[in-house]
Amino acid sequence: MSTAGPLPGSHGRRNFLSRFVVAVQAAIGGAVSCVVGGAALAPSFASHTQSWQRAAALADLADGVPTPVTLRLIRQDGYRQVVDRRVVYIQRDEALGVRVLDSTCTHLGCRTRYDDASKHFVCPCHGGVYDMDGSVLDGPPPAPLRRLEARIDGTDVVVQV
Amino acid sequence: MWTALLDWIDSRTGIRALRAHALDEPLPPGTGWLFTTGSVVALLIGCQVLTGIGLSMYYVPSPSLAYDSLRYLMSQVPLGALMRGLHFWGASFIVVAAVVHLLRVFLTGSYKAPREVTWMTGLVLLLVILGFSLSGYLLPWDQKAYWATTVTISVAESSPVIGGVVANVLRGGDELGALTLGRWYAAHVFLLPGALIVFLVAHIALMRKHGISGPISPQAGAPVPFYPWHVAKDTLMMAAVFAALFTAALLLPAHLDEIANPADADYIPRPEWYFLSLFQLLKYFPGPLEVVATQVVPGVVVGGMFALPFLDRGPNRHPWAPSRRVFTLLFSMVGAGIVALTVMGLRDAPVRFDPNVWGPQSMAGYLTAEDGGNPCARCHVDGGPASPVQVTRISRDEGWLTFHMSDPAAIAPGAKAVDPTAEPMLDEDATRAVLAYLRRLRAGASPPEVPAASATVVKTLGTRCVACHRLDGDGGDTGPELTHIGARRDAEAIRRIVTDPNDEYGDSMMPVYGPRLDAGLIAAIGDYLAAKK
Repeated sequence: MSTAGPLPGSHGRRNFLSRFVVAVQAAIGGAVSCVVGGAALAPSFASHTQSWQRAAALADLADGVPTPVTLRLIRQDGYRQVVDRRVVYIQRDEALGVRVLDSTCTHLGCRTRYDDASKHFVCPCHGGVYDMDGSVLDGPPPAPLRRLEARIDGTDVVVQV
Repeated sequence: MWTALLDWIDSRTGIRALRAHALDEPLPPGTGWLFTTGSVVALLIGCQVLTGIGLSMYYVPSPSLAYDSLRYLMSQVPLGALMRGLHFWGASFIVVAAVVHLLRVFLTGSYKAPREVTWMTGLVLLLVILGFSLSGYLLPWDQKAYWATTVTISVAESSPVIGGVVANVLRGGDELGALTLGRWYAAHVFLLPGALIVFLVAHIALMRKHGISGPISPQAGAPVPFYPWHVAKDTLMMAAVFAALFTAALLLPAHLDEIANPADADYIPRPEWYFLSLFQLLKYFPGPLEVVATQVVPGVVVGGMFALPFLDRGPNRHPWAPSRRVFTLLFSMVGAGIVALTVMGLRDAPVRFDPNVWGPQSMAGYLTAEDGGNPCARCHVDGGPASPVQVTRISRDEGWLTFHMSDPAAIAPGAKAVDPTAEPMLDEDATRAVLAYLRRLRAGASPPEVPAASATVVKTLGTRCVACHRLDGDGGDTGPELTHIGARRDAEAIRRIVTDPNDEYGDSMMPVYGPRLDAGLIAAIGDYLAAKK
């Protein structure tokens, strides 16, 4: 086939059509990408809804000693519902009311345990040590143990999860 | 700076030469709008690929999760319903666009030498697109998907000699189930896209090798560059089709039926509209002749299309040229036949299930399972030992569920000795109603409010009467339909029939309810049904 020659007086039209083609095709591509990208990214920015849940009966808690309690959390995991179990330490104190600490070490996520002899929370993985109030005493943890909102509701302790 | 960067990239990759090769192709003078159909198909393929990738982030190819994952995408994920809508409607658009492209190629005689192989790769692409439609149909795992695929596989099974083997390969065994879904999913997202890429590349490469065929009669003048003169026409056409697709996806949400229920013998399956002609054809070839509709006729049509460039070898491309008339006539007859069968199939289609309409059975299930103090709520509550009924998935078979509802303490049938003297917690009718409720709950709108005064009537209709009568889409066909009974009978007549049907009909199959139901309830049923005009 012979080579295509320029159309007479076509330079301006060529530029206009080139811009038109790029603009319309970009609009089509952009529309599809926005829908697909939006649907793909939406769950990444969904906010977590919090709720109050009964954690323990006040009568089961020893005064001043952190008691480990396993919370059973039913949560929506996309299209299915799953049950998570999370261990928290509940400490009842006449002055403080209740203090609930998440047992997860803030270093790399291992589960800390309460050592009654030293009155500290100790992480078995890398030697992190926390005080009774959750503040870091020793080791690599970058932050105190996470404290959960809690209150006394009648004869029970309820926590916000 | 940009120019310097582009110069460097070009020196290392030769991208400008590639761009020039791709865009500067000279087209025959007079190449017009008719030659934009292929670009529309390419646009729709691109759209399906992108939305398909998005869908695959959510979809799970497992019978227990496929439906829930799609339901979640459509109801919980922002833009999820629109994305599925684009993919769902895109499937129909692409079939139409591919057929329009084929018609254009036929009418302009573009399949003639030297473009025979281009034509054949195009036909393979059409079959691949139909393969996508067929395999994608099963994936939502709803009633329509399940039963239409059952029919499709039965069609394959009717093939002589190898039918049984083919059907077992398609199903992954004797029964349609998890293995079927897995292999159809693999076909949809791996095998068919692979075939699509190979044949699409071949089709476009061959189109470039031989050039666009151009107008039927060569026109005088200089060749026109593909870019931007013809690309502008392509782009306008693509924009129009895309606008139509987007509007359809926006205004008509993709359908999702109730979750697949293999035990439902009443469901009347229908394929998607583009397979309706084949489905209709089956009706005219019953029994041993079925193979004519399923294999012979489609085989002759497809085979004839492949052979076309070798049968119609004259140089004249005009559709009504003496050497082409017979082919144009045959082609038109086949086309008219497909259109006629499709129209007949559409007219014959059963009333479409509307997931937003709540019939008495699902309403009775709702009242049984969700009313205050109901037996299910002993366990199925927030923070209880089992999830609330509203979020419970139907992941068990009906036998298990029926057993569980008659004795919830026995979590697994057979795990605990059954006490034959114990009263079941829910009887079979109530269990069926609760199952209907669970299916409807996950398919469409929330249940409507039922006035307290009507609750017992709805429960009675939804557990007893629907065993034989159809009412608002629910129920059996043994007795007459009651949806518009108010137009034929008044409240007093209905009360009389329910109390003792033999008074009205002499010898009736219908049970006598006078001694079993309270007279006030029977009167209320009469009033309720009489209002259904």
